[in-house]
Amino acid sequence: MTHIDRHDTDILIIGTGGAGLFAALHAQQSAPAGTRITIAVKGLIGKCGCTRMVQGGYNVALGGGDSVERHFMDTIKGGKWLPNQDMAWKLCEQAVVRIHELENEIGCFFDRNPDGTLHQKAFAGQTADRTVHKGDLTGIEIISRLMEQVLARPVEKLQEHRAIGLIPTRDGSALAGVLFIDMRTGGFRLVRAKTVLMATGGGPTMYKYNTPSGDKTMDGLAMALRAGLELRDMEMVQFHPTGLLAGDHTRMTGTVLEEGLRGAGGQLLNGAENRFMFDYDPKGERATRDVVSRAIYAEMRKNNTSANGGVFISMSHLGPDTVRAKFPGMVKRCADSGFDLAGGLVEVVPTAHYFMGGVVVDPDTRTAMEGLYVAGEDAGGAHGSNRLGGNGVANSTVYGGVAGDVMGADIRSIGALRDPCPEVLQAEIARALHPLTRQPAPVHPLRAALQEAMWDDVGVMRTAAGMERGLTRVAEISEALMNVGVAGDNLAFNLTWHDWLNLRSLCDVSEAITLAGLARENSRGAHYREDFPEEGDLDASYFTVVTQRGDDLTVRRDPVQFSIIRPGETILPENEPETLVAAQ
Amino acid sequence: MTRTPEMLHVTVQRGTAQDSRKERYDVPARENQTVLDVVSWIQQEADPTLSYRFACRVGMCGSCAMMVNGVPRWTCRTHVSRVAGDGRLDIAPLRNLPVIKDLATDMDPFFDKWVAAEAHHHPTRGRLEEFDPIKPDSPERAEANLGIECINCGICYAACDTVAGNPDYLGPAALQRAWTLLNDSRDADRPGILAAVSGRGGCHNCHSMGSCAQYCPNGLNPMRAIAGLKRETVKAALRGKRDA
Repeated sequence: MTHIDRHDTDILIIGTGGAGLFAALHAQQSAPAGTRITIAVKGLIGKCGCTRMVQGGYNVALGGGDSVERHFMDTIKGGKWLPNQDMAWKLCEQAVVRIHELENEIGCFFDRNPDGTLHQKAFAGQTADRTVHKGDLTGIEIISRLMEQVLARPVEKLQEHRAIGLIPTRDGSALAGVLFIDMRTGGFRLVRAKTVLMATGGGPTMYKYNTPSGDKTMDGLAMALRAGLELRDMEMVQFHPTGLLAGDHTRMTGTVLEEGLRGAGGQLLNGAENRFMFDYDPKGERATRDVVSRAIYAEMRKNNTSANGGVFISMSHLGPDTVRAKFPGMVKRCADSGFDLAGGLVEVVPTAHYFMGGVVVDPDTRTAMEGLYVAGEDAGGAHGSNRLGGNGVANSTVYGGVAGDVMGADIRSIGALRDPCPEVLQAEIARALHPLTRQPAPVHPLRAALQEAMWDDVGVMRTAAGMERGLTRVAEISEALMNVGVAGDNLAFNLTWHDWLNLRSLCDVSEAITLAGLARENSRGAHYREDFPEEGDLDASYFTVVTQRGDDLTVRRDPVQFSIIRPGETILPENEPETLVAAQ
Repeated sequence: MTRTPEMLHVTVQRGTAQDSRKERYDVPARENQTVLDVVSWIQQEADPTLSYRFACRVGMCGSCAMMVNGVPRWTCRTHVSRVAGDGRLDIAPLRNLPVIKDLATDMDPFFDKWVAAEAHHHPTRGRLEEFDPIKPDSPERAEANLGIECINCGICYAACDTVAGNPDYLGPAALQRAWTLLNDSRDADRPGILAAVSGRGGCHNCHSMGSCAQYCPNGLNPMRAIAGLKRETVKAALRGKRDA
């Protein structure tokens, strides 16, 4: 019988990105005195995850002609009419409060105009200068300040605790607790709580090229699938067009070279060192992320590629000194890695960046399972088919705070901790221990095979035939994984065991992505079907919902509720200009 | 034409503080290769039991710092060619912190000291009030900005001989953060910060040896910040005597 350490708390938060840390702070403010709050994370508090990696900034309408209505319209149009409108509205409205909280209470210091007001810039897809930022390292400022606030408070911390299962009550009506592996010892720990926030972040790292932090493997959504929760918009994987390409053997490959490089006049060149973007779009390199990603992918399919199979980004025509002055962080990062961004050519490739899909939640972060709340990239709905640059960190911080407020209020009416279903608990433990019962073999080749399969068949451009093939490949890899073992003689900080569990999560979620991709027979935002290139009837917009019953996934289409605005309409006042951003 | 890759000769410190040993690995040298890639290759291809920590891969999170040929470095941003001219690498866990296993250290003492230095913002305004209209070129703000890009990676802490000799010393990163806050006109608890950094483990332990500034991958200068704290704590002490 495997030993399980048992631990009780009142409010449990999984994840320490923008959502998890804000939830901890707000829960402390809203819950009754004496409430126990515990925060658990797969890595170190505030260090793992992706909020810290935010470069661009934080979208929020702060006047000067901009409005919550305008931010909302940009979000709905950017999401191609698929967002849950009530969630998108709350995101835009509450971002105003949250950015003031970040600056005034948390202590972030965002870039200023000479008169002391906050500086805002416009990202692609925005009709106002809206993005608050701290240079091009906004995430570091937000997470470092949040982290030190949480560290200074009496919140219980479980670091390097990997969540492996949501454990419901025996009748399945509510969540009883969460099963973890204490990664430092390799032991199991069951934490019961009255309310649980899942904020593990998405992170589509099942693609050959990907940007997220190395710890991100979609564990949250894999757990949600097993718990029978509905996941929406699972086909919506956002690719960033310019990931660094340096070979399969280096972790540098896939990391983002920032959007601003193209905005400033950076040129994309194919293998023959010719510009190609104007063959695809009149805006050239300044086209939106999805358009540029598809154009690069098309060049790659024509074998017009660089040595490592991508294309080049070239900045030197702007003058190397200008590039160094304007993008010091990027130039230094490339130089540290052996590349000359200011004066030479750097190889780039589209790279999986953000996951719009997630658990179906209401605007208060509640899920269909009593006791479980979801916020940040694990939650679906706010972005629809595409996330605007700058809306990601706004979403995680707004809804993390909401979750903290709501959990703090809800626990007042929850009497006692719930008893976990022993069968589910044992099944989750058996699942985690499975690789220790098989002959040890390398895990890494299977991870590479999954990443190839998803990149080839469920990637930037999709077809029914390709995705059917992808489904078969994912199933084969998934099955092969069950015969790959890990030596279990020392489970303390055993990264190879966690590599196996990571790949288990990625295989499960990859199947859901592929099924949802097959179900969407049109092209919206991040999802592009070569066999269905049109966006389809906007008035009849639907979103996909994947659920797991037993071992099988099913997918259905639900109609989008246009609860605030219908396609073709606007909530902006009459005679409002289309955009407030000066043309470049 | 592919040429046969040459080998890097790598020594890695394994085990825990009580039971540590060096192990040797031969790792194929590649053109684009960081020290983190070398460590990852060993775990993925040679020894699946190797423990280490990394997250962002791009020098933003400060999780992967280790001792590389005796010097603390971000392994994700250290190209092998810069440190292994002779094809040899010696990799060990970050100095001055307890080892959990192999290359992974326990960073809690580092962050406990961050808390002890009162190194978090003490608000003067709330979320329903306007932003403080601070001019970016005001002298205090310019001083505060100098240290703001710290990512708490612990490299200065590992480099500091005073930390090595005095486990109570708060260390360069926490003290630099305190200095940033002291210069932030929005902070409400200047006396609290000064008290926190002037105690037994405080800024006066610093011998100005400068390793923190020498090794900071972001080019920050905690020693300068600590000198500022020394001045301000002395001034505060003198004021206290005068007022007494």
